[in-house]
Amino acid sequence: MISLSNKIFLVAPEALTALASRLGHFRTKNVAVKQLTLALLGAILFALPTAQAVQAKDMEIVVWAPADQNERYRFEAVALAANVLNEELKIENRDINVIVSSRSFTGAQTWQQLKQGFSLAVEAGQGPHIIVGGHEDIPVWGSAGLILPIEDSVDLEAWPFSDVFTSLWPIMSWNGQIWGVPQDAESRPFFGWNPHLKAIGYSDADIAALPAKIKRGQYTLQNVLEDAKKIQDKGLVEKGYGFYPRATKGGDYWQFYAVQKGGDMIDAKSGKLILDKGALLGYYQFFHDAVFKYEVTKKNHLGMEWDQWYNEVANGKAGLWHGGTWHYARYTRREGLKDFFDKVTFSLIPSGGPGGKATTLTHPLTYLISRQTKGEELEIAGRLITIVSEPRLNTLHAIASAHLGISTAQTKVSQYSDDRWTAEATELLKSAFALPNSINFGKYDTLVWKGLTAAWSGDLSPEQAVDTVVKEMKATMGDQVIIR
Amino acid sequence: MLPASVTVTLFFVIPVMMTFVFSFTTMSSDTGILGNRYIVTKATILDLTEHGIDAALVRQLGHKVFRFNDAGLAKIREIGLDSSLVKEIEEKLSGDEFASEKALFAALKQLINRPRSFKHRKAISKSVVNTITNQEFRTAAAFRAGLVANGIKVDDATFGQLLDLTNTSWRWTTDNYVELLASDFTFKILANTAFYVFFTLLFNVGFALVLALATFYMPSGQSKFFRAVWLIPRISPSVIYVMLWKWFTFDSGFMSYFLGSLGVEPENWLNEFPWTFVIIVNGFVGASMGMIIFASAVLAIPADVLRAAEVDGAYPMQQVRRIILPLMAWPILFITSYQTLSLLTSFEYILLLTDGGPGFFTTETWALNAYHTALSNYFGNLRYGFGATLAVVLVFFGVALSLLYLRLFDFKKLVAEPLIEN
Repeated sequence: MISLSNKIFLVAPEALTALASRLGHFRTKNVAVKQLTLALLGAILFALPTAQAVQAKDMEIVVWAPADQNERYRFEAVALAANVLNEELKIENRDINVIVSSRSFTGAQTWQQLKQGFSLAVEAGQGPHIIVGGHEDIPVWGSAGLILPIEDSVDLEAWPFSDVFTSLWPIMSWNGQIWGVPQDAESRPFFGWNPHLKAIGYSDADIAALPAKIKRGQYTLQNVLEDAKKIQDKGLVEKGYGFYPRATKGGDYWQFYAVQKGGDMIDAKSGKLILDKGALLGYYQFFHDAVFKYEVTKKNHLGMEWDQWYNEVANGKAGLWHGGTWHYARYTRREGLKDFFDKVTFSLIPSGGPGGKATTLTHPLTYLISRQTKGEELEIAGRLITIVSEPRLNTLHAIASAHLGISTAQTKVSQYSDDRWTAEATELLKSAFALPNSINFGKYDTLVWKGLTAAWSGDLSPEQAVDTVVKEMKATMGDQVIIR
Repeated sequence: MLPASVTVTLFFVIPVMMTFVFSFTTMSSDTGILGNRYIVTKATILDLTEHGIDAALVRQLGHKVFRFNDAGLAKIREIGLDSSLVKEIEEKLSGDEFASEKALFAALKQLINRPRSFKHRKAISKSVVNTITNQEFRTAAAFRAGLVANGIKVDDATFGQLLDLTNTSWRWTTDNYVELLASDFTFKILANTAFYVFFTLLFNVGFALVLALATFYMPSGQSKFFRAVWLIPRISPSVIYVMLWKWFTFDSGFMSYFLGSLGVEPENWLNEFPWTFVIIVNGFVGASMGMIIFASAVLAIPADVLRAAEVDGAYPMQQVRRIILPLMAWPILFITSYQTLSLLTSFEYILLLTDGGPGFFTTETWALNAYHTALSNYFGNLRYGFGATLAVVLVFFGVALSLLYLRLFDFKKLVAEPLIEN
């Protein structure tokens, strides 16, 4: 069809001018009329290509994503992908013009609004075609039939998915199927403020060797508390600022369970959640000790304002802390930390002690296709997701938001490899773990979190907190959790 | 009468009935709220084995094979593939079977006219796949037909069991009530709620009365000003109002700054005394509302009565005790019962202030817990059914308290003809 139109388009100018000229010449000698006719024909001629574009059927693909300003490429890159796809469709003589419209969720209630909004919208027969969710949404939405397994819509064996870090695929899987493709990756490093470490006796070489030492398990959470105490005792930071954890609730805290001996969260065979009492105690004990024994963390730390927290850690007001790879963007831009690599050391979260292992949490977001997507839309949504996963497009998000890339080739895209932070932080990804994909995770997480806050505030001793969590979990979750 | 009963039915009876019905379901984000959905997945297969379903049947249910039989080939012809490809498939693959999609795709790759696009490979795969796994059926009849199509024969009893175990949708249950009784925190949250309602009520009704009476004895201009000032908590957006309180109570906030000058170490006072602030923050909001009602009620008391009391030598305190308060029984009843019910069900200020924390349900009230359960989970699995169970308990307490108040304040007498005006 395009070739036919092109032909008309190519032939038409001469033919029509000739026709106009004849009309002008034979029917009337009036020059004005001749010019008018020419103008009219010219207008029709110029209108032709436009008319042709209008003929292509518009297909609107709606994308929902949790995204602040730094993370706008979660949906903007899909619109960029649509430009490429539209050209591809033209070449294929397909009569489709893809239009991406998006809705971003931001602010303190981002996740709750997104998750609840998506569930209710799709149940009501509305909602987006593509949603950027957390990987933990896969079991919940998959079980409810709100999303479709992506393995049926895109070729995961082909480029660019064939190049995606293999460690990310299990995180995208649930119940024997692959449901989404990674939108980004990240890790949640442990940070140290170098000037303070030097002040308590670390040499430059010691600091440089610290991440490797942590990885080998030679520097543990016990050492964290001791160093934090030294930093505080030297008066380098205020009381309660020696170890400065994340300001609010988050998956990050599971890292302190995962670094303990036996800190597993899911039984791969049965798909059931695991709660290891020993690991849980180690986790609670660490924070309880940080607050009450070493006094390096504030009793009332949790629930503080993020703005204050970011400002403090980026300005050397805390000794040791933990955060996320995306914090780099915040520290170096909004908080104005100029010489990040001189001032800050980052590594895996140190091991909890003998039998434990240093690790970090990765919480990849994922492009998912909702069940609203049917027929041709399904193919188009799949192709958009394929294009948006290309290294160069994904790198826009990685660099703009300081998240990590998803594929090997991406680490070779110059924008990515030239960026010291993403290049170095990608190394942590090799030792990362992810939260389990289980429909019972929300309930399990809520209880374990409440136990932590009780041990942290001193309402309960760590042992009592463990007992309370175990008892409540047995009473309300029955055999959904393996308690060992 | 009719409009009233329609309103009550529409906005009270029906929602309550529906909540009651939902409280007997397992409805949650992962079950969805729509009807049945039968699907055999990897997890179902494990579940079936645990529930003692015949091993041979379980194997059949988990079986997946890609078979180029007549039915499969017929479907392939309908895809719209190149005729040369269809012909080649018929010639080379007819009668073949593949155990996995990977093996099938590998075989397709060997064809001269091989399908290049994933879309076509997938379409061929879908045409020849023989399996019940990961196929969604919306009705029992369709599920049965699916089983038959895959050559799986089951008796009615086993089919009933299969329907139950493969259904990912919600089901009827009394477990929500069992869970409520089993949880150690049920009583704690109930006690929290009673504590919160009682003390906040005491604070806001008491404070509202104080404000109304204090401003009553002020010159008109001043009283208007103070009443307007005390309305601020009520009229400011809740998020901003709570944020101001947070700034006030943070360890770097005004309170710590002020106490710091007295030598007190900075603290996050909100986390240190969560209940105090929950009650004050809510109390001020309620007090502004009570103040308006009480202030106008005081003004409605005929001036003659108060003047006569003054002539008789009654002090303001005596006037309040002997005249004003007795004449204000009706507004006090209204505010008390209204505030009780509204405190019982409202949670926005607690949500914004402490979110029920810190620790194990420290300031979690029943309504907030229902909200957390049914509408807000950090990782997204919302439990509508269990949330409804919590709401039913709330309705029960709400109705019981309303009846108690009506009795206590002698409603009939209060709505009788007023004695003063006539």
